[in-house]
Amino acid sequence: MPEKPPRSIKILSSLPLNLLLNGILIVPFIIMIYLAFLKWSPLMSINWWEAPFIGVANFQRALSDSRFIEALERTALFVVIVVPLELFLGLLLAYIMQNPFRGKRFIISLLIYPLMLPPVVVATVFYLFFQPYGPVNNIFLQYIIGPRALDIHWFLNPNLAFTTIVIADVWQWTPFMFLIMYSGLSAVPKRLVEAAEVLGASEWTIFWRIRLPLIRPLISIAVILRSLEAFKVFDYVYVMTGGGPGTSTESISLYIYRLAILYSDISYAAAVSLIVLAIIIVASYFAIKILVGRR
Amino acid sequence: MIRKILAKVVICIVLAVAVVWTITPVMWMISLSFKTYGEWRTPSLIPHNPTLDNYIMLFSPQSITTIFIAYTAVLEPITRPLIRSLIISATATVIAIIIGFFTAYGASRYNSPGSFTLFFTLLTRMLPPAVFVTPIVIYFTTLALIDNIIGLALLYAATTLTYAVWILKGFIDAIPIEWEEAALLEGASPLQAIFKVVIPIVRPGMVVAGLFIFLMSWTELLFALVLTNLNVPLSVQVSKYVTAVGALWGVQAAAALVSSIIPLVIGYLIQRHLITGFTFGLVRG
Amino acid sequence: MLSEEKVSSEKSKKFDPARRQVIIALGSAIVALGVGYAIGYLTKPVEKVTTTITKTITQTVTQTVTAAPPSLTTTPAPTLEYPELSDVARRAVLGVKKLIASGVVPKGATLRILHVAGSKDQLEKAIELWSKYVPEINVELVTMGTEPDVYTKAMSEAVTKTGAYDIITIFSTWLGDMVEAGLAKDLTEYFNKYDPGYTGPCAPIEPLGSYVTLYKGRRYALDIDSDVFTLTYRKDLLNDPKYKEEFKAMYGYDLKVPDTWEEVINIAEFFTNLKLTSPRGGKVWGAYFYVEPAFAAYITWTNIFLEAGGIPFDLETMDPKIDSPEGRYAFNILLKLKPYMPPEAISAAWADLYDKYIHGESVLTAAWPSLTKMAISSPDSVVKEVTGTALMPGVKLEIGGNPTIIRASPNPVNWVGIVSNYSKYPEVGYLFLQFMSAPDIGLEVVLSGVILDLFRMCWFTDPKYKAKAVTGYGEDFVDHYLDAIKISYPDFIIRGGPEYASKLTTAVNAVVAGTMDPETALSTVAADWDSITKRYGRDSQLEAWKALAQLFPEPIKSAWKAKGYVK
Repeated sequence: MPEKPPRSIKILSSLPLNLLLNGILIVPFIIMIYLAFLKWSPLMSINWWEAPFIGVANFQRALSDSRFIEALERTALFVVIVVPLELFLGLLLAYIMQNPFRGKRFIISLLIYPLMLPPVVVATVFYLFFQPYGPVNNIFLQYIIGPRALDIHWFLNPNLAFTTIVIADVWQWTPFMFLIMYSGLSAVPKRLVEAAEVLGASEWTIFWRIRLPLIRPLISIAVILRSLEAFKVFDYVYVMTGGGPGTSTESISLYIYRLAILYSDISYAAAVSLIVLAIIIVASYFAIKILVGRR
Repeated sequence: MIRKILAKVVICIVLAVAVVWTITPVMWMISLSFKTYGEWRTPSLIPHNPTLDNYIMLFSPQSITTIFIAYTAVLEPITRPLIRSLIISATATVIAIIIGFFTAYGASRYNSPGSFTLFFTLLTRMLPPAVFVTPIVIYFTTLALIDNIIGLALLYAATTLTYAVWILKGFIDAIPIEWEEAALLEGASPLQAIFKVVIPIVRPGMVVAGLFIFLMSWTELLFALVLTNLNVPLSVQVSKYVTAVGALWGVQAAAALVSSIIPLVIGYLIQRHLITGFTFGLVRG
Repeated sequence: MLSEEKVSSEKSKKFDPARRQVIIALGSAIVALGVGYAIGYLTKPVEKVTTTITKTITQTVTQTVTAAPPSLTTTPAPTLEYPELSDVARRAVLGVKKLIASGVVPKGATLRILHVAGSKDQLEKAIELWSKYVPEINVELVTMGTEPDVYTKAMSEAVTKTGAYDIITIFSTWLGDMVEAGLAKDLTEYFNKYDPGYTGPCAPIEPLGSYVTLYKGRRYALDIDSDVFTLTYRKDLLNDPKYKEEFKAMYGYDLKVPDTWEEVINIAEFFTNLKLTSPRGGKVWGAYFYVEPAFAAYITWTNIFLEAGGIPFDLETMDPKIDSPEGRYAFNILLKLKPYMPPEAISAAWADLYDKYIHGESVLTAAWPSLTKMAISSPDSVVKEVTGTALMPGVKLEIGGNPTIIRASPNPVNWVGIVSNYSKYPEVGYLFLQFMSAPDIGLEVVLSGVILDLFRMCWFTDPKYKAKAVTGYGEDFVDHYLDAIKISYPDFIIRGGPEYASKLTTAVNAVVAGTMDPETALSTVAADWDSITKRYGRDSQLEAWKALAQLFPEPIKSAWKAKGYVK
């Protein structure tokens, strides 16, 4: 293909994108960056553009804010737990679903149904699920460990509360991974697999040597997109634990939400967000380099 | 032979576990949507006195008196928020897919918008939305886009564009360039080549990216909450079932189920495309 | 295996064109809808232009009218118009009529109210009555889901100044924020002009009437509600002769409605250990007080803290004073109570307290008046006949050498109405609020729903009103509630109030959950509070706090004196 794009392609490929992104997002983004260097909140009875400039004070404050650092670590831990788990489950299911059987289409529809539900409502359902008298304790666990189950208080123990959030997230977003992996595996050329079978390769070898390497780029994109979303986890934490007990399950998004919306401490929230943004940019830059590699 | 049977058994068990795991919360949600007010907190899977009140409440909130706190909730029938959300999500999807396609094409063939811009589109998914709300409100007020569903659609298109760009780029990368060159040699213009050759092949990718974009616009809450007053979309309406005097859980569950019908139908209709075409581009070996 | 798949894929090819058509048809329909809607919207800006023009015009007119003095500022002479209305409501109606006649506000103008979802019926009642008397002015209600949503909305309105809402109902806690953000209009002038009935036998009960409407000495809001906590208890259990006997044998004094928190601990322990079961099979707990993480935990703690003589901020320097013996005492009580409270108290949303009580699963509890309303009127309630109301438990202190029980009642939330500074017709907005909070109209509004509760003195004292109030709340509640309001204390009605409260809530919840020790909690909150104060400016915060401290009820002030916090 020629190196120089035709004029029509050049315009079409960059103009609409820039119009939309810059038209909608760039101005608020610049306002946000500016706010991070101000001492401003809507409660200060001055307009935001008249607020005093305080340089990097907000950033300094953030770096010594233990609640922020803890939330950041906690959220990173959450991503590290949730994303591989979802990837593994999604891949496992997708691999199994390669076998043809009757009613497959129906089962696929069913398996991706969680994606269609609003996260807020999913959070509510799991919140009710994990009440001490809720179905998890009362029906499921009671069969296994007896009446003791009714004394398990999921939202009182920081670790258990964190687990419930992980469960909700895995429930709703495993289908996302499954869908991508399934379509990836389905697209692996049959010829390659058949050829390997003829050569006597075991199912296991075929999976590791042929199928998996082929969908590697796809896994990368799925992991990147999913990690970005998981880092912003909000609804489950907000509805199910409210960040409690104390602040032991507060995610970074919830903390920023509280700063910006509950405390109206907007310029500080902006500074915190920019730090988070910088961390994500660096992390995803390396992630893309490592995962996507040659691209 | 035995190994094959064993494998089948294992597969069946894993599938059964997956289905039960997925379906249990859904079943319970369905059951919740048929429970009476007093039963919402009970763990049983089967409602004692099944009722349609939660659904009636969705469509005709004035007529319900049995839900004790229902009479305190100000609600419009869910149909209008549904239509609004449909318009918002569909508009956002169409815009994002069209723009995303051309960007992806330029990026794949000529590196046209540059890799920085591509990375920049990812940025829109990285920013924690809570803090972005105030600048957006300031900006949208000056544009008179507050309480305007088109404004919301544009915002969603901009923030979900990256899904379209990245997924479609993967697809286009895999189309042999020779095919387009052949079309060009036959005298087609570059645009004609795109429409004749590229679009038919990447249409499945468009469908998939479109589904994700549609779903994200369909369930987004925070921006919708702040940017609308009277013309509320579905997600805001669903959030209103949690009121200052208590949560209408049954009604909320019913709302979630009703509102999931549209994406479900879309998901079912496009499933064939979803499966066959999805990784066409990315799997190259 | 493979062949089967091939067959199915062939089948799919056969169906493909049809499906494609469906998708295309659906897609184009959606696009067409979108385009149609867009065109509809494009016509909107035209309207916007005209409204801005009328806005500027009416504003100037308003100013000239309000500037024209005596003829209006004197209270209108009692007329025979609307004899059925109370004076307050009549003044409001006549005021609007005058504004309409003088052209300040056009006929058919619309007021828009922003309100939380949860009391539609009450606001609708007010609107219904209003439209009976003032059909010329339409009133439109916009509701948001829960309180944080309203706060978010109000704050963004303060920043963008669109004038989308004329009246906003808010938590009194937010009043400082709303004033400082420039959203709440100073209503002092209208108060003088129209007299909303804040003096005399029917005035809102003090100190409540003052502290929810005043900020730094000016009126910024009209009271439409009271949200004072009462102790709600199970009459049947506390009066049971068998339990009385056992209790006396165990603790050496009579089982009765507790006067102090120490007694609460004993009673809670006693009933928890009985291991009673509720009708729906749950355990009956001795006590349930708020310690949850989302917002209510500070309420219980602050109540004990203030009764023990604690003061949140120094009155000279604005230094936080919670890291004090009184602060430790409050945590001590909460930790002693913890074993006798349902474990969910630490995690469940505030509504869980209601749920547990009305299903008979707690003996002593404290919440807003709506708890009583719900216990009496919810179809699920199993405690309809056996719900008692009393004052909040207190703390025994030495005051002037005499042991005295200091009691106080929190008044968290308390809805008030403010008028937006960016409203086109602020005066009409004010008059609507005056109308809906008038003695007669207000009572009807209060009785028609859940969120807004009794706040005027005559509703408890004037037989004609009291009889009506009793029908909604029951005699026991009405009798005790008046006293509760008299000892009620304000929330943090200073700038940053929700933030101060939220830091405290998080810490209290963490301590009771056992993830933080009281000492750390107190010093952390003190440091957090100080940085909030610093951020908003120590002097202006101190000014606001001094003004607010004046409005605390007498028992608390006397405790402060006894402890030496006040000279």
